[in-house]
Amino acid sequence: MRIGPSGKERSSVTLTMDPLFLAWSYFRRRKFQKCSNICTKVLEDNPYDQAAWSLKTRALTEMVYIDEVDVDQEGIAEMMLDDSSIAQVARPGTSLRLPGTAQGGGPSPAVRPMTQSGRPITGFVRPSTQSGRPSTMEQAIKTPRTANTTRPVTNSSGRFVRLGTASMLTNPDGPFINLSRLNLTKYAQKPNLSKTLFEYIFHHENDVKTALDLAALATEHAQFKDWWWKVQLGKCYYRLGLHREAEKQFRSALNHQEFVDTYLYLAKVYRRLDQPITALNLFKQGLDHFPREVTLLTGIARIHEEMNNITSATEYYKDVLKQDNTHVEAIACIGSNHFYTDQPEIALRFFRRLLQMGVYNCQLYNNLGLCCFYAQQYDMTLSSFERALALISSDEEQADVWYNLGHVAVGIGDLTLAYQCFKLALVFNNDHAEAYNNLAVLELRKGHIEQAKAFLQTAASLAPHMYEPHFNFAVLADKLGDLQSSYMAAQKSEDAFPEHVDTQQILKNLRQHFAVL
Amino acid sequence: MPEVKTVFKEVLPKQGQLSMEDVPTMVLCKPRLLPLKSVTLEKLEKMQQEAQRVIKQQETAQQQEHA
Repeated sequence: MRIGPSGKERSSVTLTMDPLFLAWSYFRRRKFQKCSNICTKVLEDNPYDQAAWSLKTRALTEMVYIDEVDVDQEGIAEMMLDDSSIAQVARPGTSLRLPGTAQGGGPSPAVRPMTQSGRPITGFVRPSTQSGRPSTMEQAIKTPRTANTTRPVTNSSGRFVRLGTASMLTNPDGPFINLSRLNLTKYAQKPNLSKTLFEYIFHHENDVKTALDLAALATEHAQFKDWWWKVQLGKCYYRLGLHREAEKQFRSALNHQEFVDTYLYLAKVYRRLDQPITALNLFKQGLDHFPREVTLLTGIARIHEEMNNITSATEYYKDVLKQDNTHVEAIACIGSNHFYTDQPEIALRFFRRLLQMGVYNCQLYNNLGLCCFYAQQYDMTLSSFERALALISSDEEQADVWYNLGHVAVGIGDLTLAYQCFKLALVFNNDHAEAYNNLAVLELRKGHIEQAKAFLQTAASLAPHMYEPHFNFAVLADKLGDLQSSYMAAQKSEDAFPEHVDTQQILKNLRQHFAVL
Repeated sequence: MPEVKTVFKEVLPKQGQLSMEDVPTMVLCKPRLLPLKSVTLEKLEKMQQEAQRVIKQQETAQQQEHA
């Protein structure tokens, strides 16, 4: 450190800070790698320095920490071999698995695109919104995910295991703590070390079983009076798929101490158990203790949205915004709802608000571009899309932006451009069913019947949940005189969208034909 | 013979029904608003990319050692 009021006579006096204090300072400034390095040095000098040890576990944990409330990934095994459901066929409005059963009347798929699980697409993705529930194993394996990112993981902990091994790979000397040699009983009796150690095992090592052992010993040591350990036990049970045990622990923790997080964890358990109504009641209970708590309100809104009850979801999102007017999720969801209820001008205001708040990514500019176009602000449309293309981080995003640009091109009547845009969408994402369908329509306009047919069949096999390819195929086959194929496709279209009038019309005509024959 | 200019006048029926056939047309899939990503999801994806990068680096380093 150089000291001196003027630059002339600088005496270089080097002051060394106490290393542990420096490490703490780094930790507070979230420079975890530096903090961890200093702790490592301190521990080399004195392996029994508990403060440094504890601080290093915390730093390593923080590096990979993910909010456990948000983490919810269902693997194929959990989805298909689910034994916790009470009824195979749930009553309307009581299950998250039959999205069509909402009483609120969800938006029609003629206006708002559907995800693979049959829900309208949402304005915001979290790790848990990515898991839709496919109805068959085949669909589960081959259909791309709703948020256009990943296929389902084979095991719910798959992603975490990979992260864990990766963090170990970066350490050439092996893991910081050798878990198998750890004397858990000893650590469980030291409350000042056990909590950081638990978080390290749970978040950094992802060794849920060891974490569970430690938590069980520690809660015993605390004479079952520490709510924190009960919550951690619940988290472990949840990760292991023991939902009822998790529920017990969270309930017990709530008896000791009312805490917002515990409510959120418990609601997560009920969501997984497919009991949305219980979860809603729980949130309302939580709101009695913590009035107008934003996370609880958001939870309610999410459940309504997942049950396809968009109107009440929007009401709750508006409540959220009354408390926290910078809540990105609420703004994005209300915005997309306005867009799909034919009010792109209002949607534009919401997305513009997000831009003002400093959200700066490809998705937002894409949405702004679409809103501008449909709100007839043509000057801004293309520049928004240009920015969206400049901010792209993955091929899937790029495909979606080109797909939407294709719509703009269709809107201005430039079919050549539209054709090229949809083609580009397919270049970047070969599974883009919507682009296949729209290309088929364009091909048919050019008179390329066989090509159109092939595209429609591809689209239908990629996304059986969409009604458009089935319906288009029915129309095409009907024109070509292939009534049997037309009838089959129309039936599939009816399954995907029972209220579609044109499908009903085709089916009626075909049935008349067949009756005459 | 004076040339008679024939003026055609359109006939618009004031009475009666107007009917047109409702032909089913092809439908396009709808434009798709992209959902924004939550902070947690962004962090997860970032960590995964980072992990993949590290693993790839190590693999290439190993291959170079073998070679």
